[in-house]
Amino acid sequence: MRYALLLLLTAPTVLMALLNIFTQYKMKRISKPRFVQQFMLWILISTLLLASFPVYNLVNDKPLLYSKGLSLLDILQTTAIVYLVYIINNFRRKIEQNERTIRDLHQEISISLSSRNGKS
Amino acid sequence: MKICVVVPAYNEELVIGNVVDDIKETFRGTKYFCEVVVVNDQSTDKTAENAQKATVINHLINQGAGGATSTGLRYAELHKANWVITLDGDGQHKASDALSCLEQAIRIDADLLIGSRLINKKGMSKVKILGNRGLTLITYLLFGINVTDSQSGLRIFSQKAIDILEWKSTGYDFCSEMLWRAKKANLNIAEHPIQAIYTDYSKSKGQSNWNAVNIVKSLVRRRIVEMFE
Repeated sequence: MRYALLLLLTAPTVLMALLNIFTQYKMKRISKPRFVQQFMLWILISTLLLASFPVYNLVNDKPLLYSKGLSLLDILQTTAIVYLVYIINNFRRKIEQNERTIRDLHQEISISLSSRNGKS
Repeated sequence: MKICVVVPAYNEELVIGNVVDDIKETFRGTKYFCEVVVVNDQSTDKTAENAQKATVINHLINQGAGGATSTGLRYAELHKANWVITLDGDGQHKASDALSCLEQAIRIDADLLIGSRLINKKGMSKVKILGNRGLTLITYLLFGINVTDSQSGLRIFSQKAIDILEWKSTGYDFCSEMLWRAKKANLNIAEHPIQAIYTDYSKSKGQSNWNAVNIVKSLVRRRIVEMFE
C-alpha cells in the first residue's frame, strides 16, 4: 500500500519529465543522443520507483542501510526529492537559455557597434 | 584565403600594440589576407586605444576570456573568414608560431589545432607546468580528451569549427569545454608545438594555479549538469 502511494505521488512528475523530453526532441531542441541519455535517466528513476519494494528489501539486508518499514514521511520525502529534481532542472535550463540569449545579444551589439564606429 | 586573428584582451595596454604589430608584420607578404581583431573585454586602461591598428570590438560588459573569444569567432563567422587564429593578448605567443600552426592545420586538414606549450616546455616555470598538466589531466578524466596542453590560448579553427563550435563557459574553463564540444561534434583535433614567451609581464598576467581550482569546479559542474540536458 505504502509503495503504491509512493508510486502514485511520483508518477505525475516522472511523466511530466518524460513528456518534456519527448516534446523537446520532437521540436528539435535536443539531439537524439541527448534525448536517449535523458530518457534513460528518467526511465532509471521510474524503474527504481516501480521496484521500490524489492529495492527496499534488498538494501534493508545491509546493516548500514537497515531501517524499519517505509513511513509516510519517507514517501513524502522521496516524492519531494523527485519533484525538486524536476523543478530545479527546468529552472536551470531556463536560466541557461536566458544567459545564452543575453550573451548572444551582447555579442551582436558589440560587433555591430564596432562596425559602425569603424565606418564613421 | 581570409584569416582572422582574434586577440581577447583585458587591461593589456602595455603590450597589445606590440602584439598587433607582430601579427601584422608576420603575415605581411604571405598568401593570407589577415585581419587582426582585438576583443577589448571592458578594459579599464588604454587597451582599445593602443590596439587601433587592429579592428577593435569593445565589449559593453566584461565577459571573461571565453566570452571574448566567442565574440571574436562570431565576428569571423560574420565576415566569412576561412580560418581563425586565437592568441593571448599578454604577448606570450609569437605570431610566427601562429603562422606555423595555421600552416600545419591546413596541411593536415585539422578543424581545431592547439598550439601546445608543453611539447617543448622551455622557459615555462615548474608551477605553470604542474598547473597545466593538472588541468589537462582533469580534462582527460572528465571529457576523455587526450591532449598535452588543454589550456593553450593559441588555437586554430577551420571554417567548419567556426560554424559548429559553441561553448557555455565564459571564464578560462572554456578552453577545456571547447575541446569537449569539438570532440562531441567529431571535429579533427590536433596539436603543434609552440614556444611561449614568459616575461615578467606575461607571468603577472597569467592565471594563477589557484584559479585552476575554480576551473575544475566549473568543469565538474558543467559535466554533471549536461547529464540532465
